[in-house]
Amino acid sequence: MKDKIKWFVFLHIIILMISCSSISSKMAALNMPSIKGLMFYSITVFILGVYAIAWQQVIKHLPLITAYANKAVTTIWGLIWGYFLFHEKITPLKLIGAAVVIFGVYLVVSGDETTDENQEFLEKGADNND
Amino acid sequence: MIKFALIMLTGTFIASVSQIVLKKAAEKEYPSKIAEYLNPMVMGAYVFFFGASLCSMLGYRAVPLSIGPILEATGYIWVAILGKIFLGEKISKKKGLGLVVIIAGIIIASLGAR
Repeated sequence: MKDKIKWFVFLHIIILMISCSSISSKMAALNMPSIKGLMFYSITVFILGVYAIAWQQVIKHLPLITAYANKAVTTIWGLIWGYFLFHEKITPLKLIGAAVVIFGVYLVVSGDETTDENQEFLEKGADNND
Repeated sequence: MIKFALIMLTGTFIASVSQIVLKKAAEKEYPSKIAEYLNPMVMGAYVFFFGASLCSMLGYRAVPLSIGPILEATGYIWVAILGKIFLGEKISKKKGLGLVVIIAGIIIASLGAR
């Protein structure tokens, strides 16, 4: 249980990291073409590289559904960073849209786990263990 | 704004294609651990990923940061469609419903960005 919590916290650190890569991507876009823009883009690529490695570890320790459903939280981080760093408005429609997207992602990833094919695979696995 | 949103959406599509390529590559047998990573398919997929991040960055020239991650949720739709076509993965009713809900959420949020 303690291990689960540890990986869950790690998952959210990674999610926060991805949201930061969006900030640097936006900063790069606003500063291109310039050295400063390139620097921000390099940061983006670096974060994405670290994320790719860290994500592999997370999905080894947490169920895919947990990992992907939680990853949708980046939409909320986008709203927060946009508001605080780029003076973007948080409109009710943006908030509702983000919540609907998160719910949709939850349905997609949980629907994935209950497909017939997975069910068959699980049952076969159980038979083989007998 | 729409032009830049389309660039970003194209990036998400490219990233989804590379995910499918990575999955295809993972199904193959390789002679060594290094060959698992250093083969044309995997390396090509990472080049695609790089291209996708470039599209995303170009999109952010006009797309608000508050909308970017929401647009990127279209990746779930592409992965489902491409997965069905190229990997024979099923789209369950629940998953199909989720994809429609994601599209609805993206439209709602985009209307709020005007």
